[in-house]
Amino acid sequence: MARVRNSGRRGGGSSGGGGKGKGKGKGKWKMPASVARKQQAVMANVDQVTGERIPKSFVFSRGKLPTTLRHLQQDLRKLMLPYTALKLKEKKRNNLKDFVNVASPLGVTHFLILSNPKSLPHLRFAKSPQGPTYTCQIEEYALAADIANSQKRPRSPAEIFKNSPLVVLSGFNGLGEPFKSFVTFFRHLVPAIDTETVKLSTCQRILLLQYDKEKEIIDFRHYSIKLQPVGVSRKIRKLMQNNQVPDLRDLKDVSDFVTKAGYGSESEPDDEAACVSLASDIDKLNRASRKSAVRLQEIGPRMTMRLVKVESGLCSGDILYPESVGKEDVAKKGQEDEEEIDDDEDMIELGDGSEDESEDED
Amino acid sequence: MAATVAAPPPAAMAAAPGNPHKRKKQPKGKGRGNTGKNKKLKGPDDAVRRRRKPSSKFIKLLEKRARDYNSDDDEEVDHPPPRRQHAEGGDAAVDGDDNDDQEAPSSEEEASSSGDESGEEEKAAVTRFEQGCRAFRVAFTKIMSKKLPDDPLGPILSAHKKLVAAKLAEEADEHKSKGEARKEKRIAAEKGHVIPENHINNKEKMLIKVATQGVVRLFNEVSKRQTRKGLNPSRTKALGREKTLSVPSNQGQKGQASSSFSKHIGKDEDEPGWAPLRDTYMLGSKLKDWDKVQDSDVAKQTEVPLDNFSDDE
Repeated sequence: MARVRNSGRRGGGSSGGGGKGKGKGKGKWKMPASVARKQQAVMANVDQVTGERIPKSFVFSRGKLPTTLRHLQQDLRKLMLPYTALKLKEKKRNNLKDFVNVASPLGVTHFLILSNPKSLPHLRFAKSPQGPTYTCQIEEYALAADIANSQKRPRSPAEIFKNSPLVVLSGFNGLGEPFKSFVTFFRHLVPAIDTETVKLSTCQRILLLQYDKEKEIIDFRHYSIKLQPVGVSRKIRKLMQNNQVPDLRDLKDVSDFVTKAGYGSESEPDDEAACVSLASDIDKLNRASRKSAVRLQEIGPRMTMRLVKVESGLCSGDILYPESVGKEDVAKKGQEDEEEIDDDEDMIELGDGSEDESEDED
Repeated sequence: MAATVAAPPPAAMAAAPGNPHKRKKQPKGKGRGNTGKNKKLKGPDDAVRRRRKPSSKFIKLLEKRARDYNSDDDEEVDHPPPRRQHAEGGDAAVDGDDNDDQEAPSSEEEASSSGDESGEEEKAAVTRFEQGCRAFRVAFTKIMSKKLPDDPLGPILSAHKKLVAAKLAEEADEHKSKGEARKEKRIAAEKGHVIPENHINNKEKMLIKVATQGVVRLFNEVSKRQTRKGLNPSRTKALGREKTLSVPSNQGQKGQASSSFSKHIGKDEDEPGWAPLRDTYMLGSKLKDWDKVQDSDVAKQTEVPLDNFSDDE
């Protein structure tokens, strides 16, 4: 807690005051936290540190959903953690207006609405009071459970859901209007990251939206980020992770433990592209001084979506997108040729000047 | 009458080719007599003559037919030749059926007038009745003793059988349609749901790569910003200030600056978290350092933005 206060450079005034003496300092440092907590209770929608609005979301459904889609809804809620209602109860008679009315006092800004029409399930992304609404048709989806089943060692510890996911939007470069605003929507779906103050240990999940220009579909993936030190043998890594005395019975000397090669998997060369030098220590193994390899493991849900409709209001209002389909296609084709050169430019939301790191400290 | 007269010749013609074969089998000349009578029958056109002569023959024939009709195979094996003969005669009778049937009643009418023949007729009728009873009994016992086939529908009359079959078919149809409906419903509920493959295919690999790139870029950016930021306190540190409180923004700098192993370990101990929880808390000179750290941090906090801006611009 203290560290956050101290490190937050916008919170400089309060922490500066707290630097006078230890005992006093402790007390004073606590104060802002309690104040912040009160503030949080009153104005839950405001970031404690920066005072910026935290985007919060509701994930709910319109109409009756079959079981699998209900699971998908729950997975989406989990994905949107921590700023979402994980156990949002909805009733059949609740209409959209009810949600809007509830949303504003709670500071909920984004809606993810699942529905199951005759053709294919739809997922609507909407901003709360005003819109716009992006209606996506879910062409294919797999639940988090399905993905966990497909993996040998599924990994989704509870801690990774304590922070918002990073959002990576890829392939949206140089696209026309509906996608531009779509990208903006997703940038503001999660709290922005300030690169100067962010703690890397809070970046544990990533939400990837990749636009496939040929098929005009959006791949929606959710991964967990795992960091592994480069050049450390598996045995040492395990020793550090498990904090257990290793089995040394077969070894003649302690040095064998370090020098002896293990299984083939440990000799696999780490991809240079996936290596990062960390700015800060994340855990015992991934220290700032060393290089770490980024490993992603899917945690689901997985979706393949097609943007079918954009409305200016909240599930109402002018239809912005499908009318201009013909024009859009032409415009897209023109832009595609230009964009193919610098194709894989990802748009990561960076440096928007707010911090989302405060939550994990409590 | 003209029709009756016209009919016989084909009957005789039909009987004639059939006879030669059977004659060989039959040792007795009775067949011949028969044929002869037939010829005779065919020959004279006088109605009265025809009535009388055939009547006796036809009575015999009818008797035989009645016997044959009422009898069951078992009982009348006694005299097969007459039966056979009768069968042969039957052929003729069948062929000339119209003729016989028309003439039989007339002959019986005549027979009723003559006493002898009527008595014979009555006798035949009685036996016929008795034999019919027996036949019925035999038939009934036969039916009852019959082994039933393993029909799922059981022993039922054909009409009922049909009805039940139709009903069952309908039911099955209904069941099927219900099952189909359920299946359709399930498919509708599962539409779009795809169970992922166990291995990571190329597309997923590509997506992971893209996501990894994104993460790497973010981390690099963060480390660039934060280490640059961390350089500033190092200047203040160069002035003689120490810091013990681990500040994330300073750690990158520490990583660069920490050359001595002991320092590194010290950092490890600092790492776990809140200062008062640490073992080294309030020990020795660190108390003093605490203040200084804050000062340095304050200094940093004031300095950093400016520095960063200057760096950026």
